[in-house]
Amino acid sequence: MDDIQRKYVIPGDVITTGPYRAEENVHLFGDKIIATTVGISEIYDSGVRVIPLTGIYVPRIDDFIIGMVKSHTSLSWELDINACYPGILPAQDVFGRDFNPKVDELTSRLKRGDLIAARVANSDRSRDPLITIADRDLGKIDDGELIKISPTKVPRLIGKRGSMIQTIEGATKAQITIGQNGYVVVSCEEAEGLLKALDAIKTVEEQAHVPNLTEKIQEMLGSNSE
Amino acid sequence: MNVTIIDQLKKKKILSLLKDGQRVDGRALDESRPLVIDTGVIPKAEGSARVRLGDTEVVTGVKIQPDKPFPDLGDRGIFICTAEILPLSDPNAEPGPPNEEVIELARVVDRGIRESSMIDLTKLVLQKDKSVIGLFVDNSVTDYDGNLFDACSYASVASLLTCRVPKYELKNDVPTLVEGEFSEPPITTIPVSVTMGKIGDQIIVDPNADEWGCMDARITITTNSDGNICAVQKGGNDGFTVEQLVKCSQLSISAAAKIRELLKQAGRK
Amino acid sequence: MGVRKTDIVLLSDKGIRCDGRSIDEPRRIMIKAGVLKNANGSAYIEFGENKILAGVFGPRDVHPKHLANTDRGILRCRYHMQPFSVGERKNPAPSRREIEISKVIKEALEPAVMLENFPRTVVDVFIEVLQADGGSRCAALDAAAVALADAGIPMRDMVSACAAGKVADTIVLDINNEEDQEGQADMPVAYMPNLGKVTLVQLDGVLTPQEYEKCINTGINGCKLVYEFQKKALREKFFGDSTQ
Repeated sequence: MDDIQRKYVIPGDVITTGPYRAEENVHLFGDKIIATTVGISEIYDSGVRVIPLTGIYVPRIDDFIIGMVKSHTSLSWELDINACYPGILPAQDVFGRDFNPKVDELTSRLKRGDLIAARVANSDRSRDPLITIADRDLGKIDDGELIKISPTKVPRLIGKRGSMIQTIEGATKAQITIGQNGYVVVSCEEAEGLLKALDAIKTVEEQAHVPNLTEKIQEMLGSNSE
Repeated sequence: MNVTIIDQLKKKKILSLLKDGQRVDGRALDESRPLVIDTGVIPKAEGSARVRLGDTEVVTGVKIQPDKPFPDLGDRGIFICTAEILPLSDPNAEPGPPNEEVIELARVVDRGIRESSMIDLTKLVLQKDKSVIGLFVDNSVTDYDGNLFDACSYASVASLLTCRVPKYELKNDVPTLVEGEFSEPPITTIPVSVTMGKIGDQIIVDPNADEWGCMDARITITTNSDGNICAVQKGGNDGFTVEQLVKCSQLSISAAAKIRELLKQAGRK
Repeated sequence: MGVRKTDIVLLSDKGIRCDGRSIDEPRRIMIKAGVLKNANGSAYIEFGENKILAGVFGPRDVHPKHLANTDRGILRCRYHMQPFSVGERKNPAPSRREIEISKVIKEALEPAVMLENFPRTVVDVFIEVLQADGGSRCAALDAAAVALADAGIPMRDMVSACAAGKVADTIVLDINNEEDQEGQADMPVAYMPNLGKVTLVQLDGVLTPQEYEKCINTGINGCKLVYEFQKKALREKFFGDSTQ
């Protein structure tokens, strides 16, 4: 039986005292466990952590993300992935092992401003994260509109077992691709559907803390879902 | 000037000695380095001093000349204090416009003297709202070994104590120099600045360059001859508890007493 | 400094100050979090007649690269006054006073901000004073701390700031512009309320050692009052209400 105590916290708030393990987004001061970000604190088993409600994206291996090409060198592209470091997409990942910098021009495949669906291949803090698009469902994104939300709201936008995203897609006939980094691409054949989907996504981001949000979004979109 | 990266072995040594209440150069925690003050070193200036605080050296000159008063302060003279860290004082010091560190240094030294009312500026008026005497104190750091705040302050104070104010007369409302006539500066008190560093939980007085590189935080407290506090500036990227702040004020008052004596002696030469 | 003739009564016999406040009463405070769209975090504060906007970007790439620290992120801070923020128009170029205040504010925030997990990055704090009144550096700090929390920058504690001072031989809380000009001492203080550390303290003016201690404690009480407004601003934005 889940026994998690939850509380809204801001930095400096004392969550609890005592022999707990300090996990994400908290720090120990004496025997006090103190929140370090704005979020929801959880005390479970013997550990304490805070789920942040704001903050930039921290790349993790295997995360599905959407990136935008910022620039390139002769050996790689530099991507904006909404993190504190740029993502690096090596040319070999796209051209293959026989990539030859003297012959293969990077801009022939991806140029500044292009959006890609990608995965984080490697991430450690001493280097910029390595990105890959070497997979069937990854690669350059050819149409749709990019909308940016706080990465902390991504789980809410997906919903339990995808319930929120399915509600929006169903009601608007849009296709929505959500990157863990908060970059979301929405495409829809009908302009009206696109606008409704964008509105719905913004609403989820603004009201992530409101209970029964899925129902509210359903109402907002007119009950075309189901 | 960016602080030199201190080597880890040296830092370890400083920290472990501090745990036993000791410092690398053998000083007590509340002890300042030897202070040497020479005045009148720049005869062309109306006042001057060269100060060595340990291996930190500052040369300071006072220029006194007539000026227009500040708009809403027509009944007093002008006092301006500047500071410059000369490129020859340290490998990391670069020539160029003042950076935030030098600006803070100049303003803290200026405030310590200004807020103490060391110079009675009301005695420096030639014609109210029109013409006053300006005292311009310029500090130049020639050698860096930590704690520029105190070294510059002592050099400024010593220069002011020994300066000679030229006599100016108004001829057709224009201030004209009367050659060969001078007066003593209108001194009311002797401000003494004491800077303390915090390393871990230890407070040390007058940190040298190595200690400066290990400090978490620092505080400069200036007191006047009555033992009252007239300026405070906390710096560095850590904080102090209230108890530490009170302790620092006590350390500052006791360290200042000795230094004031040295400044008085220098002032008599 | 000398005694200046003044028409205003700084402190009446009944302990009322020139703007009607009692000696322990701060001016009106209002703080709102998340007021800008582009900044990662932002806040707006009105503290007396001070109107100040703070925006935070980061952690992000450092330019120029040689400023980057390979062990931890760095904090950069710019306190800047708008030309129309004061009685006589202020030249838009940064003055020495603004540069010093920028440094002092940065050093007041650094003890709280945890940048060990973001090497080679910078957190930029931009503070714009739209209208200035006494105590603007404290109000600026209060907004900056809220903006940092709004941006999700990990912090050990909030930083709250308020000035105390001496007026008509009495230690008072939160001095306004007239009290700053005509009073006897001005001590801005910043404090981390849960960790109990003073991260900014400056003094202009003369205090006895006893007054110095009293002034620090008065300032800290002011900081604790401001902390409640900072909490309220963040709770209102993120939790939808200010109670919890």
